[in-house]
Amino acid sequence: MNEMLNVALPKGRLGENVYDLFARAGYRCPEIENPSRRLTFENSALGIRYFWVKPSDVAIYVEKGAADIGVAGKDILLEYRPDVYELLDIGLGKCRMAVAAPKSFREDHKKTLRVATKFPNIAKKYYASVGRDIDIIKLNGSIELAPILGLSDVIVDIVETGATLRQNGLEVFETLFGISARLISNKASYRFKREKIAAVISGLSAAVKKETEND
Amino acid sequence: MYCSQEELNSRLRRVFEGAGYRRYVMSKFEEYDLYSDNRDFLASEKVLTFTDLDGRLMALKPDVTLSIVKNTRESGGIEKVYYHENVYRASGIGFKEISQAGLECIGEVDEYSVCEVLSLAAQSLMTIGESCELDISHLGLLTELIDGAGIGESAKKEVIRLMGEKNLGGLAEFLADEGAKSPLCDDIIALAKFDCDASEAPIALRKILGGKVSEESLALFCDTCEFLSEEFPSKVRVDFSTVGDLNYYSGIIFKGYVDGIPASVLSGGQYNGLMKKMKRKSRAIGFALYLDLLEPLFESSDGFDADILLIYDRSAAPKDIYSAYKNLSADGKSVLVLPDRPKALRFREVYILSRGGVRHE
Repeated sequence: MNEMLNVALPKGRLGENVYDLFARAGYRCPEIENPSRRLTFENSALGIRYFWVKPSDVAIYVEKGAADIGVAGKDILLEYRPDVYELLDIGLGKCRMAVAAPKSFREDHKKTLRVATKFPNIAKKYYASVGRDIDIIKLNGSIELAPILGLSDVIVDIVETGATLRQNGLEVFETLFGISARLISNKASYRFKREKIAAVISGLSAAVKKETEND
Repeated sequence: MYCSQEELNSRLRRVFEGAGYRRYVMSKFEEYDLYSDNRDFLASEKVLTFTDLDGRLMALKPDVTLSIVKNTRESGGIEKVYYHENVYRASGIGFKEISQAGLECIGEVDEYSVCEVLSLAAQSLMTIGESCELDISHLGLLTELIDGAGIGESAKKEVIRLMGEKNLGGLAEFLADEGAKSPLCDDIIALAKFDCDASEAPIALRKILGGKVSEESLALFCDTCEFLSEEFPSKVRVDFSTVGDLNYYSGIIFKGYVDGIPASVLSGGQYNGLMKKMKRKSRAIGFALYLDLLEPLFESSDGFDADILLIYDRSAAPKDIYSAYKNLSADGKSVLVLPDRPKALRFREVYILSRGGVRHE
């Protein structure tokens, strides 16, 4: 069996920060630091192979065992509920899941609430918990546009600084939960690459702790 | 590595029959009510249904255990059966026919029966692949600890879900949010972290659980761990992230993994909760093996669809074609006989039968 540890990293700024954390934890891979269009990189001396995947696909790669471990946002884990272990909060990519609407919005409880979101399962679960009848409008991007054009009453979406909401005349009405990036593991890999994964957890925990102390 | 699924099936059958388990053969259908009453026990809530000729709503079996429990009479003894059946479950965008094997031990299940079923689970895994692991935990001990910490029913489910994710940070946060201040919360977190070889488990478990849960249950579980570690050294671990639905499972619960397969290939436990729900007085333990997951382990074909392709001239007499086929297949080679060369198939050798006789291409 392949003894390399396969790590799925989310493409983009978050992924770069995650790789920096892995590098500080002792898992540098010089190849990845040179700009290129390649998607896989390995450091055979350390027995680690990284690959970039779409952030929302990280959990799928890990669940299906193509990657042994990976880093995925808590939003993705709560939306898709992949069958993986959630081993560590690495504290990066902090933001929140929130209900937002135009500043003038006043909720009419006699009507079904129209909710636009990329996260239908999270939205359904939240509104079920407060007993509110809703219509879900599943969108794949530019969620802020939905209430502006009357497609929905509110949106359920990720809010980082709130700047995009403000620029579009929206504001947060309710914060559902905080989000950050999590180290996840395939359940079988956790068993057959136990020591390697334990070493990564320990290295990343120390790097996260150091970063928290420096903040 | 096995050359085929059939070979593995036959070896598993020998494991089950070797312990005296009888094969249980059942119908593909069952009344839908059985599954609608026990939805939580099923891997998926979606069931493939149809209306029978007499108007009854029927379902293609999504699960075998429920049918066996329903159809097993309570005789006062112990019923030991195994099965190899197809079940029908929602998977991805549609329903899928899934091959499943497993066994059930129902009735006056005693300590020996539990050890026997666990040892058959370990043997089944080792039959699939030498690099394997059986993980066990005990839901009864876990729930006793959670109840002792004063955690309510809905919060208990969340605690168990977080333990199943090995989400230690999330678990600590949840317990703090719930205002659970009992010192037993530290023990719950210690159990969530608990993951060690079965040989080390008894001492470590007694340290965490001693005096906090039923001494009898703890002692029985520790005895089981000792038995398994002696019989299957370094193959069995005690891992409390192995969890299941509390309405059905009540005692030992286990999952099996084989190197090369990304998910658990075996799942089982003591389902006394299900027996109670189905108004049975007896106890039960069993497991299922998900044979469809094992496909990557089987030897892939060598890239050829047959050893030999024999292409014949349409004007050739059938007895000449058959005679050429018999000669070519005499040493056990597979021979596909066709009048034209098929597209997309590969052969080691090609022979052409024409009026001049058989020639190698």
